[in-house]
Amino acid sequence: MSKRQLAMVMDLNKCIGCQTCTVACKTQWTNRNGREYMYWNNVETYPGTGYPKNWMELGGGFDAAGDLQPGVIPNLEADYGVPWDYNYESLKTDNPDHKHFQPHTSPTWGPNWDEDEGAGAFPQDNYFFYLPRICNHCTNPGCLSACPRDAIFKREQDGVVLVDLDRCQGYRYCIAGCPYKKIYFNPKISKSEKCILCFPRIEQGLPPACAQQCVGRIRFVGFLDDLDSQVHKLVNVYKVAIGLRPDYGTQPNVYYVPPTESPAKFDAEGKIIEGSTRLPIEELEKLFGPEVHGAIKTLKDEMKKRKETGVSELMDILIAYQHADMFRLDNNYYQDVAKEQKRTPLAPVDTRYLAGKFTKAGGHH
Amino acid sequence: MNKVLTSFLSLGIMASCALAANPAITAVKVSDVNNQAEFKNIKFTTIALYPQTAIEMNDKKANALNENTKATNAQVGAMYDGKNIAIIVKWADATKDTQAGETSTNYSDGFAVQFAGITKGAQALPYIGMGSTGRPVVVHLQKATEKVYEPNGNNDVAMQINRQQTGVFDKELAEFDAKKASLANTNYTRVFVGEGFRSLTQVKDGSVKSDTAMSYVTNGWVGSIVRPLKDEYVNLSGTVPVAIATWDGSKMDRNGLKNLSAWIAVNLDGQKANTAMVADLTTDSKGDAVKGKAAIEANGCNGCHQMTAADPKSFMAPSLKNVGGYSSTSYLRESIVKPSAVVVPGYNRNAHSNTPWYNLEKGKRVSTMTDYSHLSKAEVEDIVAYLKTLKAEVE
Repeated sequence: MSKRQLAMVMDLNKCIGCQTCTVACKTQWTNRNGREYMYWNNVETYPGTGYPKNWMELGGGFDAAGDLQPGVIPNLEADYGVPWDYNYESLKTDNPDHKHFQPHTSPTWGPNWDEDEGAGAFPQDNYFFYLPRICNHCTNPGCLSACPRDAIFKREQDGVVLVDLDRCQGYRYCIAGCPYKKIYFNPKISKSEKCILCFPRIEQGLPPACAQQCVGRIRFVGFLDDLDSQVHKLVNVYKVAIGLRPDYGTQPNVYYVPPTESPAKFDAEGKIIEGSTRLPIEELEKLFGPEVHGAIKTLKDEMKKRKETGVSELMDILIAYQHADMFRLDNNYYQDVAKEQKRTPLAPVDTRYLAGKFTKAGGHH
Repeated sequence: MNKVLTSFLSLGIMASCALAANPAITAVKVSDVNNQAEFKNIKFTTIALYPQTAIEMNDKKANALNENTKATNAQVGAMYDGKNIAIIVKWADATKDTQAGETSTNYSDGFAVQFAGITKGAQALPYIGMGSTGRPVVVHLQKATEKVYEPNGNNDVAMQINRQQTGVFDKELAEFDAKKASLANTNYTRVFVGEGFRSLTQVKDGSVKSDTAMSYVTNGWVGSIVRPLKDEYVNLSGTVPVAIATWDGSKMDRNGLKNLSAWIAVNLDGQKANTAMVADLTTDSKGDAVKGKAAIEANGCNGCHQMTAADPKSFMAPSLKNVGGYSSTSYLRESIVKPSAVVVPGYNRNAHSNTPWYNLEKGKRVSTMTDYSHLSKAEVEDIVAYLKTLKAEVE
């Protein structure tokens, strides 16, 4: 366990599946150099196959006795999908080999191949919701535990899980060990790579690209021990944000506000069945464990309270009025960490999100 | 030089019966190990390589493929001149597996040669699996890879972009592709120093001048390594202990999924051999294996250790089902009476947190195994004799 833990909360009631986070991440980190197929951030349709294909059935994580479980390493072509490119050369008009403009490979699978399919029968009771996923920067990471080279570490200062690319020899046990399949093999450099929680941005006072760009403002970022951070309030005070698949035993640090709202079902005549809901609670229980019941109850109670009285701190938080409140990056803390490590702390790029447990009033150093 | 070397050596894998202990190898004295005319003088010796089963890794598919892996034979030969030693390894492999840099699930064939490092004062040989605390090893690793672009450490950041994002087209793009291809790294060769599993660290400062290569001939590989007899890590003379490992990419082998030999004595021809080491590595235990088996049952060894494939797997302690194949008798003796002398680091401690193999006491690793120094010498020898029988058949 690290000294502090930076965490993210994602409000699934508000995710519209626009993939802006995915693109923000891709253009920042994974559009080059053997990472083309990787999505450190992806948004999948649930229920669905997910990314990589059927990741929940590929093993990894820990059993109740705390023993790491064996897992399967997904195949690039069959499970992730080959990122295709086009023969741009064919567009040249004087090209004697004039060919059709086409992908270099015939795609057979890719992320979101089953986007918006969901489950149930249209129009009576079909349903789905979006599940954005990044590395969970677990407190007990499966990837770290699987590495026979001790090449994966969890940063003391914020719990970000990183790969030491110098020690990594490309054995890929980490991929088998991660139950979320959020660590990837870069075949070009034969090493594993993963979401870095945009640590170079965070240290400079900017939230991760996926969170900053989110148009639905579903993502909150902050330290779990910062009592004023909205992340702390959502996770520890209201307990409405829960880790994904807590049964994997890795203690994930990306928390989800479960979807509470879904339309009613239709009967055979196409009429609304009053009081029904399309989203089976069993599915949410599978994803978030038994605590999902309490979270949904709190959310519903607070919604009601807000409707009746106009006051609810929880609803105000979830409305996400201000980025400055949603992201508390405690940047002066990172400056102190840099000083402790005898490095020269750089002034933050952006001072809007400085606040945090260790940030004293009156600005940065 | 290695390309020339391997091109005319036929594989010549001999059928042989499984020998109880590996014979010593004679490294012939030549005027220059890089002179190909000398290769005909090398005498090859059959060495058995056993599947590493002390710990089981967490890759389901790879474990299934390796469930019934048998021991394999390799032909090992050596020569030396005044400065360098060359070790040549030939082994059968029906498929040529190279890592092509395009997919997430292929693995390459490879081989490694391990040397014992310099220690302070007289020490027993390092633990076969990457050495042990205070008893370092130097491992030369060679893997079969296709051209892979590895930009790390070369400062060519401008080349780290997708070709479609270069902003150039046509001829200039072709030039970009050619430049990138020219930067590709083909020879996956590594030198590591280690004091035990997990501690392995790559030597990147060029302080080991070695030349390693492998090439595929009909149904098998020929690999060679040339390294100095003396550098800051090793000092080789008289009898040189070496160990060999091979990886089979078609079985998803990498890291601990490999076949490895016990320490083999390589006598430098014309130099005074270390007779004690040769005796240790080439002669069988004088104990009685039948009595040893009974002693193991009486002492409850199988409470923690998997002894044979029939026993349940355990995270409590290293599996001993191939221990007779790759461990020396002196190591086995030592481990029974002084379990903390060499502590096999085993799993990442986070992976099986309830069954650590050792505890840290005042910074020292203390094995969780009971000390069996109360056993009589004869009993220990019987147990060693039995443990030496625990190994897979040779394919």
